[in-house]
Amino acid sequence: MSIEPFNKLVKLAARAFYDDITAKGDNQPKSGRSDNRGIAVVVLDALTRRQWVREEDLAKDLKLHLKQLRRTLRFFEEEKLVTRDHRKETAKGAKAYSAAVAATADNLPGRDGEEKIKLHTHSYCCLDYAQIHDVVRYRMQRMKKKLKDELDNKNTVQEYVCPKCGKRYNALDAIRLISFEDDSFHCESCNTELVAESDKLASQDIGDGDDNARRRRREKLRDLLQKMEAELKPLTDQLSRVKDLEAPDYGTLQAWELRASVVARASSSDPTGNDSNRSGQGGTPMPFLGETKVEVAFSGVEEKGEIKSENAPMKVLPPWMIKEGMNLTNEQRGVVKQESNMEGTSASMDMKDEKKLISQEDDAKNLQDEYVKAYYAAILQRQKEQEEATKREQDLSANSILTDVDPSSSRKRQRDDDGEDVEWEDTPTAGETFKVDLNVEAAELSGDEEDDDDGIDWEEG
Amino acid sequence: MFFHIVLERNMQLHPRHFGRDLREKLVSKLMKDVEGTCSGRHGFVVAITGIENVGKGLIRDGTGFVTFPVKYQCVVFRPFKGEILEAVVSMVNKMGFFAEAGPVQIFVSNHLIPDDMEFQSGDMPNYTTSDGSVKIQKDSEVRLKIIGTRVDATEIFCIGTIKDDFLGVISDPGTTS
Ligand SMILES: [Zn+2]
Repeated sequence: MSIEPFNKLVKLAARAFYDDITAKGDNQPKSGRSDNRGIAVVVLDALTRRQWVREEDLAKDLKLHLKQLRRTLRFFEEEKLVTRDHRKETAKGAKAYSAAVAATADNLPGRDGEEKIKLHTHSYCCLDYAQIHDVVRYRMQRMKKKLKDELDNKNTVQEYVCPKCGKRYNALDAIRLISFEDDSFHCESCNTELVAESDKLASQDIGDGDDNARRRRREKLRDLLQKMEAELKPLTDQLSRVKDLEAPDYGTLQAWELRASVVARASSSDPTGNDSNRSGQGGTPMPFLGETKVEVAFSGVEEKGEIKSENAPMKVLPPWMIKEGMNLTNEQRGVVKQESNMEGTSASMDMKDEKKLISQEDDAKNLQDEYVKAYYAAILQRQKEQEEATKREQDLSANSILTDVDPSSSRKRQRDDDGEDVEWEDTPTAGETFKVDLNVEAAELSGDEEDDDDGIDWEEG
Repeated sequence: MFFHIVLERNMQLHPRHFGRDLREKLVSKLMKDVEGTCSGRHGFVVAITGIENVGKGLIRDGTGFVTFPVKYQCVVFRPFKGEILEAVVSMVNKMGFFAEAGPVQIFVSNHLIPDDMEFQSGDMPNYTTSDGSVKIQKDSEVRLKIIGTRVDATEIFCIGTIKDDFLGVISDPGTTS
């Protein structure tokens, strides 16, 4: 989840499309002083540096009137760039938010002293990156399509307008508009002869109809299309850069607060927690990014002990292997057993031995199946534990944080497994080429099967 | 596009028709009532092809009229967006031209006529290419593509284009068709 490309996208889009949006109500007369064009860009930029933010705070930070900010935000909400959340909250609720903000470790000024609020409706806002991505793409697509359609006159419904009363018609009304006096179209209300509306995009100065005008219009459209493509190039580039990235998602306000507070507690009790906090990309604090703490689970003491006990019986394997991928150690142990068996027999294998080998492999498979079952059971238990952990918020020791982080750590371990497959193939000693190959294949197969079941079961099962 | 479908209608019949050929009267009245009408949902009813069944009549209080629910098979014609139709030009003006495909009226506005055809006013207003080889005027036959339909409860109106490959005049004297 990288936020920087998306922030860049937001900034580019803001400058491309919202540059001249005013945060003003339509009813107010426009004076030079209150001309606040560009405010939309400022607000969007500010939001890229924040996650969920209380609108009062944002207004204070930007030195904007709250009303003005709200108007802008409402506009962006309609534009689907921003998600907002409104809630009535007591001082406690406000505190939850403040705590969450504190956890983001990005000290925004002017947040203190807000705890005294009794029961007010507070609004929060946050960029909706995934949706922004879609909205911008859709907008570009529509712009291009409109121009292109007009350029090759495809599927466009000609519009007609009454020069006298301004009433508009389109080609679908044509049958009602023909007057039988002169075979041309007439306004239904004032009977003035209608004129075909020249394309909205091309300028109006061209008279209707004649061929020359059409050609000029097309040139104009082509120019416009080229210009658009050139000027929006940075935006399209950014879009393509962002295309396959996962959009940052802060979730709902509640979810975000919860995560933030969990991390905050973790960082207060666990020194490494701070580390992960600081590692939020692009200077943006991302308190909930648990993935960064993968290593913590690895260095667990009890795991190490287990590894050792496992390690003891099979000396053939170098310890650096077992340390990383647990499920593979299982197969390896099976393999090792077979290997040692085979070492006893002669180098040339007869059918009986082969059968025996197969049955051994079957045994190993059964064993693996057992482990898979145990693993899933363990996972289930883990999830329950996790839920409980998140539920009882107040008593979160560093330990429970570890379990919190565990899924990602297991993911990491899985990745290690993949790497290890290769390493492991090298391990067989040179002597037993053909048999070992068999084993390798079998183990590899089962390894593939178990690819998604990583070694956690070894700890529990 | 044509469809063969079953529709139902409640027919009111005057008591004077009650007799031996009640059924024939019913059917002929149905044809008169229904054929050539248009419903937004099913399109134009082109022809009734058969009677599925005639339900029990219900005598109306006071009038003596009897209402029969009649199920009938019919061919309907319903134009769709994107459909290619062949139509006869009925009127040409500087805004474009109107054409008829059976009961359907189609308007082709001038910006959906190929750019090399220009409007010529006069007794027989027409659109003609600069070399005069192709001419669209009243009674020309054109192949067009429907790009939009307006469907009301009782009428369907279409707009079309001839600005695409293989569209345009098909009754050209120069070509064999
Ligand atoms: Zn008018």
